Amino acid sequence: MSTKAISLTQLQEKVRTITLPLIVLLVWWVVSHREIVSPHFLPRPETVVGAFFTLVEEGILSFNLKMSFTRVISGFLLGISFGLVLGIAMGLSRTVEKLLRPLFDAVRQVPMLGFIPLIILWCGVNETSKVVFIAIGAYYSVVLNTFEGIRSVKKEYLEVAQVFEFGRFNLLRKFVLPAALPSILTGLRLGLSKSWMLVVGAELFTATKGGIGSMMAEGREQWRMEIVFVGIIIVGLVGFVLDQLLKVLEGRLLRWRKAID
Amino acid sequence: MGESGALQLSNLNKKFTVEGEKISIIENVNLTVSPGEFISIIGPSGCGKTTLLRMIIGLESDYEGDIILAGKKLNGPSLNRGVVFQDHRLLPWLTIEKNVGLGLEGKKYARNRKQIIQDHLELVGLRGFEKAYPYQLSGGMAQRASIARALVNRPEILLLDEPLGALDALTRMYMQQELEKIWQQEGGITMIMVTHDVEEAIYLSDKVVIMSNRPGKLKKTIPVPLARPRDRASYDFIKIKEEVLREFHLQAEHQFSYAI
Amino acid sequence: MNVPEVKIRVNYNEGKVEPLKEVIEASPSNSLGNAAVLGWRILLDSFNIFPGPLPGIVLRLGDKALGLIVPLLLFLAWDLVTRYELTPPQLLPLPKQVAVTFLDMVRSGELLVNLKISLLRVTAGFFAGSFTGLVLGTAMGLSKKIESYVGPLFHSIRQVPLLGWIPLLILWLGMGETFKVFFIAIGAFYAMTLNTFQGIRDVPGEYLEVARVFEYNRLQLFRKIVFPAALPSILTGVRIGLSLSWFLLVGAEFTGASEGIGYSIAWARQIFQTDVVIAGVFVIGVIGLLMDRVVTLLEGYLLRWRRKTFTA
Repeated sequence: MSTKAISLTQLQEKVRTITLPLIVLLVWWVVSHREIVSPHFLPRPETVVGAFFTLVEEGILSFNLKMSFTRVISGFLLGISFGLVLGIAMGLSRTVEKLLRPLFDAVRQVPMLGFIPLIILWCGVNETSKVVFIAIGAYYSVVLNTFEGIRSVKKEYLEVAQVFEFGRFNLLRKFVLPAALPSILTGLRLGLSKSWMLVVGAELFTATKGGIGSMMAEGREQWRMEIVFVGIIIVGLVGFVLDQLLKVLEGRLLRWRKAID
Repeated sequence: MGESGALQLSNLNKKFTVEGEKISIIENVNLTVSPGEFISIIGPSGCGKTTLLRMIIGLESDYEGDIILAGKKLNGPSLNRGVVFQDHRLLPWLTIEKNVGLGLEGKKYARNRKQIIQDHLELVGLRGFEKAYPYQLSGGMAQRASIARALVNRPEILLLDEPLGALDALTRMYMQQELEKIWQQEGGITMIMVTHDVEEAIYLSDKVVIMSNRPGKLKKTIPVPLARPRDRASYDFIKIKEEVLREFHLQAEHQFSYAI
Repeated sequence: MNVPEVKIRVNYNEGKVEPLKEVIEASPSNSLGNAAVLGWRILLDSFNIFPGPLPGIVLRLGDKALGLIVPLLLFLAWDLVTRYELTPPQLLPLPKQVAVTFLDMVRSGELLVNLKISLLRVTAGFFAGSFTGLVLGTAMGLSKKIESYVGPLFHSIRQVPLLGWIPLLILWLGMGETFKVFFIAIGAFYAMTLNTFQGIRDVPGEYLEVARVFEYNRLQLFRKIVFPAALPSILTGVRIGLSLSWFLLVGAEFTGASEGIGYSIAWARQIFQTDVVIAGVFVIGVIGLLMDRVVTLLEGYLLRWRRKTFTA
């Protein structure tokens, strides 16, 4: 009886979940087929699917994705390596914090896109400027979360370390970093999703050859609505997958945490 | 020089500064603990008993007077004093085995390290839980692991800060028996326990030291000359309990009138 | 440098610096040797995160002054590098020139005109987006049914990075004001929906039981319990939404605009007016900071019932 009831509510839940997306699809289909809206503005669903397969077959999609990935990965790694160093230094030392935090906070007030013109002026319209720009996105999140993570290490744990006469290095390795790890990983996740957004931005805002953002920009310039659609879906999917990958990593590294969800 | 495990507190005074005013927390405390003794410090909450214990651990500085262990004046925490905190303070990211092994970090025990950890897990009855994480243990089990962790270094003295305070009444009584067993098996280790549970103090200790409130002073030391294991319902036990409670101006529950 | 002489003591137990009433050490001359010794002690002590016993040190610099050291050094380096033309002046102008340009922009009214337009866009986008978000977040928070209808679609659309919408929105809405306001609204919409929803869902069940004891009706329940309890989270949504809107404004004005602060920076970049770019970046930073401060003030006022846990 009760199991049946549960499965019924679960079924209900599933139906609810797909109702709205189905309606959206249906409206899209009807509107585009009846040409209530010009196909220039709203391509037919099957045109989008067709465009996706063409882009895949011709290798355009994989080429552009590869370009974007290369940029994201180099920018992300650059950003987090600087971010981890500064975050740890500020977390461990109150003097470093007092020296650098005000400047860090002040610079952080500038919306990241605001740096694009400066970076382009200084680095030129090339790969370097894009990588630097993407790095900034990852950098902020990692600095802040690493700092907070280290600062919120419980005093109780540090007392345990004192009782066992741990040296500084061991203290950092055994107590401070593991305790700060959840927060650091959150920083990495936020940083990666920012980096992904900024790569799209960088490719849109700077004349670029290659990359998923420039594929969309070209689609827009040529009024190829279906390419823009494919681009949006791919960008969303990749962002989601990247986040899930880091979540899996998080789950592995933080096995010791009681699952809260 | 002093014998291993012998502790001497002389003329201890500690003050905290609160809003510019100095408040005396510990006043003129003198206490001698012989090697192998089990001592309980008992007092109302806020009387400074935990502060006193933290001074012996080495986590408090800025006090007057001397704390001398085995003939040497204390200076900061050290591995010759094991500590069991009220909250077990196991590191949540390490397995029980690794938590217990914390005290052996970078020491020369490396070869038989595994054996030492095994022995201590055995001692506290946690065999088979080596790979468990702290969140998977109940409160009582976590506290046992924390006792094992404090003992692996073979400290001269074990300091317990309300070690059973967070446990439910039944688990608590059971753990008191376990603690006594561990104390006997570890032969010769000195234990100092802070508690606010009178019965627990009498059940476990050779001497019960009573602290008074504000400023914390040692009011009275009551010896417990009863054979172990002790019977909580025995006449002598209850008489000592009455004596302790009298110090707090409390009446003992009249259990013994029924016991007669 | 005119630093007030404040004697302070670093309290490692609570991790804060407190003013010292009595002077622990007599501070003799400010000879170089003393300063060096003091510097080393500060550095060494600062790398100790033990909360335990540590000797108090006397710092002769206030907290704030310490934070000025690095910016001042950077500024000095900038000044020197440009003065001796170690970098091409069209890439890095003299600090003085940036200041002059900034004042010119203010005086000529150019800055004000552009700022006004940008702020109007942000205001419109932010209010449209956050209001919609507030409504959707409330609906999803109060009703599990609505959540299960709308939630999955909302969350899957949210996977698309904000900047990714630009090409589509331009095609649909053109490059005009509608596009900019709509684009800005998206950021505020996401932030408000998520935080309102979460805030309402996180209302402790105990409070709801209180409401049941007092036999509150639905409206009373919402007004007296749910909304106030969710308010901190909603205000977080306002804060994040506002800063996202400001971020997106810059993006929108880069894409296609003929006025606005973002546009003037992008244009200045193309004609190599680096001084204008730097002044512009400074201005958008300051505006971002001011917006954040306003939300903090609002929070402080609306949430005055909250006990202060952190005193920064």
